[in-house]
Amino acid sequence: MKTKLFALAAGMMAATALASVPAQADVKIGLIGGVSGPIAAMAPAMIDAAQLAVQQVNEQGGIGDGEKLVGVVGDSACNPQGGTDAATKAVNIEGVVGLVGPHCSGAVLAAAGSVTIPAGITLITPSGTSPEISGLEDKGTVFRTVPSDDFQGRALARTMKEMGYGKVAVAYLNNDYGTGLANAFKAEYVDELGGDITQFAAHEEGKASYRSNLAELAKGGADTLVIFDYGDGTGLTILRQALENGFFDKFVGGDGMKSDAVINELGAENLSNFVSSSPVGEQSESLDKFNEAFKGVGGDPDAIFANTSYDAAFLLALAVEKAGGKKEDVAAAVTEVSNGEGEAILPGEWKKAKELIAAGKAIDYKGAAGEHNFDAKGDVPGTYALFEVGSNGFEVVTEMQ
Amino acid sequence: MEFVGLVNYALFMAIFICIYALLALGLNIQWGFAGLFNAGIAGFFAVGAYTSAIISTAPADGRIGGFDLHFVIGWIGAMLAAGLVAWPIGKICLRFRSDYLAIATIGIAEIIRLVIKSEPVLTNGARGISNIPRPAGDLGYMESQIAYLIIVLAVLIVAYVVVERQFNAPWGRMMRAIRDDEDAARAMGKNVEFRRLEAFIFGAALMGLGGAMFAHFNRSITPEAIDPMVATFLIWIMLILGGSGNNRGAILGAAVVWIIWSVSEIATDRLPHEYAVQAKYLRLFLIGLMLQLVLRFRPEGLLPEPLRGDQRSTKSGADRH
Repeated sequence: MKTKLFALAAGMMAATALASVPAQADVKIGLIGGVSGPIAAMAPAMIDAAQLAVQQVNEQGGIGDGEKLVGVVGDSACNPQGGTDAATKAVNIEGVVGLVGPHCSGAVLAAAGSVTIPAGITLITPSGTSPEISGLEDKGTVFRTVPSDDFQGRALARTMKEMGYGKVAVAYLNNDYGTGLANAFKAEYVDELGGDITQFAAHEEGKASYRSNLAELAKGGADTLVIFDYGDGTGLTILRQALENGFFDKFVGGDGMKSDAVINELGAENLSNFVSSSPVGEQSESLDKFNEAFKGVGGDPDAIFANTSYDAAFLLALAVEKAGGKKEDVAAAVTEVSNGEGEAILPGEWKKAKELIAAGKAIDYKGAAGEHNFDAKGDVPGTYALFEVGSNGFEVVTEMQ
Repeated sequence: MEFVGLVNYALFMAIFICIYALLALGLNIQWGFAGLFNAGIAGFFAVGAYTSAIISTAPADGRIGGFDLHFVIGWIGAMLAAGLVAWPIGKICLRFRSDYLAIATIGIAEIIRLVIKSEPVLTNGARGISNIPRPAGDLGYMESQIAYLIIVLAVLIVAYVVVERQFNAPWGRMMRAIRDDEDAARAMGKNVEFRRLEAFIFGAALMGLGGAMFAHFNRSITPEAIDPMVATFLIWIMLILGGSGNNRGAILGAAVVWIIWSVSEIATDRLPHEYAVQAKYLRLFLIGLMLQLVLRFRPEGLLPEPLRGDQRSTKSGADRH
């Protein structure tokens, strides 16, 4: 058995060594995602969206002198162990010029820290929202096409202050989403703007009644309740019970609360004092183009992070083209192809972009999920708006800055 | 595939194998020597990783530390902290028999994970700690991997020598006696509870050290790393496959399982492009199948526990509970 196992392992390695000699004409990018593990349900759509970008590149002339772009899928399992392993393989065995992913923040931090930063490979994550990613000492090689959790919480705080909200109480779900948003909100609302948060409390998921939590939150005399939770889950229960018992007059939610379930369950007429923030970009021409193309290959354009994944892959392809295939120049090229200056490139317009790059002209990618003008930390600001409940569902009140 | 890339990949695998071998050695002390079914490896791994991260990172706002101390102090601190956490747990839980202990330790690992996730003052909560200094991390990609491998290999060798000495010393014989027949050992005047606690703490300290080396290698530690799949059960697979009760077996098991775990992905990637995502699930299936086959055909592992002379006439493993 011992020898058999060794033979098996050796056989696998040999097969790998033989099989992975690449055809010289291929340019590879790594698509590292949490295929197995906690986000297994989300990952396939994200990878398909990235593959759509690869497909469009190949259909419209490929990279450089018609070389084929290949997306190599790797499994990060949504943890650092899997993330570093997949990234190491992509970088060293497949020889990728850049990575799209990993999907989960912990895997991004580990893969960047132990693989891509030392190796000087560009990494663009479509879904790592942890603020820690901003602080990496990454020599400009780590980017993301999704805003950090920090942005929304802070933007919401600024908008509320402008709109004249006074004392507020904050209820947040005790997970990374709720905690991240709530802390960013608190930091901006209290520390920066001098606002007043009377109560700041986490709650656990899935209880039948939150009346005691709400009674506690109502102490201190706040008239507004800010909820960072999901509108089709616990957040709905809290909102309903707060309305029934009249604990607060006004309600504000994060993007998780902007769910049709809230309107369907509680009725628009009861929600006149409810607003929630949410990312926008939904009306842009870029997004329409992406949605159409993704439907065309059998994808669901509403799948979460599908548009950010597509943008990450398309941006990486543009940067590779711009850098002439040189791995070490890709990172700098990412900011060059999407900094708000130059001719606009929409999703799928690879041929146009390729010609402009060949002619030495500046281009500016306007992505499906936003404009992606990266700041010095490789972050995108994200565009948010505040929504209220009108007769036709959620309607924009104001843009959030 | 360039030769340099292959070397880098091999170095990366070797570092991971060394880290996992340390965890497997720790488990071998607990299960292989003392028969303690610890299913909470991830908890001690996490305590070690976070302790070392707090000790060695630069000062940060909003959480305790960092104290910006040398990584060696961090690693020693990690061992001490993991041992300290193990002490009360062992005091309370070691009265349980094997499978009850497993349930209790799974629960404790989960408690540790939740505390880490929801105590921002201690661990920065769900965001984790990043920018942990990596020894020799300023060198180039390959050089720094080589340097780190030398460090973890040296630590592993020291740990192996220490554990192997203990195994062959009277202490090791006593532990096995307690494992195989507790009542007989007690009748001979051995303090069973105290000895079990010793083995539990010793093993936990090694697990903590493994966690610390993992955190420094990745320059970050997040609650996502405390996934029982890769931080508890994978290590059990390594020990069982390598041969519990045999230190070389624990190290060999770590190497074989990690190589298969990692290389199988490259193998399944050879499937046609349309199946790229499905291939990842196939890989998990193959690993499970392999474990089943090993358990069916070679339950004592690749390198069974060494038996000396005629001291025991029964077959190894036949009298385990």
